[in-house]
Amino acid sequence: MMMKSDHSFHLVDLSPWPLTGATGAFILTTGIVKWFQEMNMNLFLFGMMIMALTCIQWWRDISREGTFQGLHTSIVAKGLRWGMILFITSEVLFFFSFFWAFFHSSLAPSMEIGLMWPPKGVLPFNPFQVPLLNTIILLGSGVTVTWAHHSIMENNFSQAFLGLLLTVTLGVYFTSLQALEYWEASFTISDSAYGSTFFMATGFHGIHVIIGTTFLTVCLSRHMKSHFSSNHHFGFEAAAWYWHFVDVVWLFLYMSIYWWGG
Amino acid sequence: MILTGKHHIVGVCVRRFASKAATQHEAGGMDLWKKFSLFGAIPCVGILTFKTILDMKKHGHDERPPFVAYDHLRIRNKRFPWGDGRRSLFHNPHTNPLPDGYEA
Repeated sequence: MMMKSDHSFHLVDLSPWPLTGATGAFILTTGIVKWFQEMNMNLFLFGMMIMALTCIQWWRDISREGTFQGLHTSIVAKGLRWGMILFITSEVLFFFSFFWAFFHSSLAPSMEIGLMWPPKGVLPFNPFQVPLLNTIILLGSGVTVTWAHHSIMENNFSQAFLGLLLTVTLGVYFTSLQALEYWEASFTISDSAYGSTFFMATGFHGIHVIIGTTFLTVCLSRHMKSHFSSNHHFGFEAAAWYWHFVDVVWLFLYMSIYWWGG
Repeated sequence: MILTGKHHIVGVCVRRFASKAATQHEAGGMDLWKKFSLFGAIPCVGILTFKTILDMKKHGHDERPPFVAYDHLRIRNKRFPWGDGRRSLFHNPHTNPLPDGYEA
């Protein structure tokens, strides 16, 4: 496995994960169709399991290649940086479409919903209660993850641990509060364009919060195993970038859907 | 060349770090963000949590709005893919009426 090369690029060893990932994604999406059409979730659950196993093992292998095999030279790391930047950019475009849908319905409310926004009969959330708390939680978690980053750069192991732990805790806190809001809401996804746009936008955001929290938790475990050095810790940086992106999306959600649209 | 007897080597205890970064106390670094975190972010979250709990205690027992069978609400063009298909994923029987009215 440890073949020497005369260049500083990383030509990856043969890996099954791209194939299992593609197969798993196909099974997952077909499984969703089967679920919706035939009320049977077995293929969907099977697809989820294959995707989860693929993600765990693929990313585990990347950590091994970088941390233990030393294959992540500075130029390889540059490529990983560009990869993460491009991925996050694609996610920005994904959320842009849900914001488009929201503004399409809310800027010129139709006759059917009473020529008003929120529509007649819809009781929106008070933006200055739980939604404001959620905003402060995410902004605060951006501060704690920055503390963790500087601590890693200054080789302070325990402060990096504490900063990361606080960040993950705040992420879990946000998710719990949002779940409570979803339960308590007086409107559902089937309540006019208001419900559709609200739950699609905040729902996908919530999934991204869970993904980001998971990514940060993995960083916390890796930090405890001393995977990160003061000048090489791209996995952590990628998680922090993703987390800031999740925070920014929330700020847009809060200002447009909760506040302006409330 | 070494044992000239001229040099008195004084042992000085110096704390060394393995990496360069730790010796430099950057102005915008770890200590600053630690302060922002522990004296800024966490207390703000704590205070606002307290305020939100108080707010919810005060307004938490408001009456739910009376049911009006609007056409644009409780849309059911296709059944939900679970249960009897009439309830959304986070359906709350107390706050979410079905198309024909509150259940509870």
